[in-house]
Amino acid sequence: MTDAADTDRWIRRLNLVQLVLAGLLIMAPTVWMVLSSFKPSFEVTAYPPTLVFTPTLENYVELTRTTPFLSYALNSLIVTVGSTALGLLFGIPAAFAVSWTRISWPAILTLAARMAPGTLFLLPWYVMFRQVGMIGSYTALILSHAVITLPIVIWVLLPSFDGIPRSVFEAAQVDGCSVTRILWRIALPLVASGVAVSAILAFVFSWNYFLFALVLSNGDTKTLIAAAFNFIGEGSTQWGALMAAATLIALPPLVLAALVQRWLVSGLTLGAVKG
Amino acid sequence: MSDTAATLTQDRQKLEMAALSAPAVVFTVAMIAFPVVYTIWLGFQTFSSTGKQSFAGLANYSTLISDVEFWHGLWITIALFVLSLVLQLVFGVWLALVLFHAKRLPGIVRSLFISPFMMPPVVAGMMWLVILDPSLGAANYILQSFGLPPSDWLASPTWVIPTIALIDSWQWTPYVALIVLGGLQSLPPSVYEAAQIDGASPFKTFRRITLPLLLPTIVTAAILRSVDLLRFFDIIYITTQGGPGNASNTLNIYGFRVGFEFFNIGYASALMLTLTAIVFGAVLAFNRLRGAVAW
Repeated sequence: MTDAADTDRWIRRLNLVQLVLAGLLIMAPTVWMVLSSFKPSFEVTAYPPTLVFTPTLENYVELTRTTPFLSYALNSLIVTVGSTALGLLFGIPAAFAVSWTRISWPAILTLAARMAPGTLFLLPWYVMFRQVGMIGSYTALILSHAVITLPIVIWVLLPSFDGIPRSVFEAAQVDGCSVTRILWRIALPLVASGVAVSAILAFVFSWNYFLFALVLSNGDTKTLIAAAFNFIGEGSTQWGALMAAATLIALPPLVLAALVQRWLVSGLTLGAVKG
Repeated sequence: MSDTAATLTQDRQKLEMAALSAPAVVFTVAMIAFPVVYTIWLGFQTFSSTGKQSFAGLANYSTLISDVEFWHGLWITIALFVLSLVLQLVFGVWLALVLFHAKRLPGIVRSLFISPFMMPPVVAGMMWLVILDPSLGAANYILQSFGLPPSDWLASPTWVIPTIALIDSWQWTPYVALIVLGGLQSLPPSVYEAAQIDGASPFKTFRRITLPLLLPTIVTAAILRSVDLLRFFDIIYITTQGGPGNASNTLNIYGFRVGFEFFNIGYASALMLTLTAIVFGAVLAFNRLRGAVAW
């Protein structure tokens, strides 16, 4: 009996060691990035690397002074909020209709964007947007990023809508409610948390998306992610500013993800796994 | 009378439902279906240096077959795909088991575990570019302090693909782990208890019971990762742009550069359609595999 308890304790300790090891491997690079962003410029490239230093904000000041960081950030915000709103506007009714009618092809159609390489759409978009003079416009960027947000919204919301008992809708129908009214007045408040999770995930993935803005934006509409090259160019000697840029770009998605971490996995697998 | 009234409401309901999905469907057709058809058409065109376009039949595809860079890109794509997928699945299952036995996970720990794959891949690339710098990076310092030889990492034609696989695995192993953890948590506890009573060792229990039961979940994780890995772009483009030389020139990077650096839209379309066919082929193959391991 004590033998078994002993083995049990050892297994638990071994597990804890592995957990800490995994945590270190996962965390260390990010911690290094954040630390480097607060290092004085002469210490960022010190070799051997230093762990103890006097933190400074000079890299952040340098970043905003030498690059239009804030206007890039504003562009990112416009494109991300715009595409998330568009994704919700189109995705909420579609998810509701798919859940109700069980006709799933509209949902599957939107998944194509999740599977095909982005360049496949980017080539014709580039040709088409150029013909109508929309390269570099916010509209083109928001439309292209909505291709990312729409399937996220639909597939995160589908299980939420499926979870509402049918009797709720049937009762409303007997009372003479139209389908649209049922969606906005009855179903939507019931899936409010699902809408929040889908909006946050859509925001994060739109914010993080690189490829489309790389081609469809111009100097005035460049998003933070697409501008990353500029920071690397600057950063060949300026690691501090580069790491400050990286830290700031990663901050919004990380903060938002932390808010919804509990519901994240089922949302991220687009319904393939119930987490 | 009441019959026609019922059909009437039913018809109205169908119409209303169609109206609800219409914006999403119209948007997707306009932004995806139509452009893909257009890409197929572009794949049969050539564009002269003055931008004049003309019908070329299968010329782009015959170019593709004799293009050394295409075959090289295909090889790089597959090597990166296999290497990354194996790393992520092996470490992901390991991490899932560790997390599973930890039982209670505080929210903050979970947030830390998801942080790699919620950060932009571009940021991951920037970060590792600094860490893996051949002369001043922290990675080589750590290697050397253990008495190991330093590496050129992303700057080495030999090591660039394993290094990119390593970066991507750092980012996505926790994701695979959380999916597998979901699978572990849904397994009936009775199977472990029965195995324990039979006196099976933990390793044997894992090999004979847990792993087979987990296979469908693992294949699901593999499908989700494959789709991203076969069209690998962000980290490569931000760190090496396909270099050094063409050592990390995957099909997706190659297609992008042909299209937007050399502006050969016709040939780029042919390349992208081929890559898309490969991605869909892989998904179909994995789906059949999932059917085979289902229980």
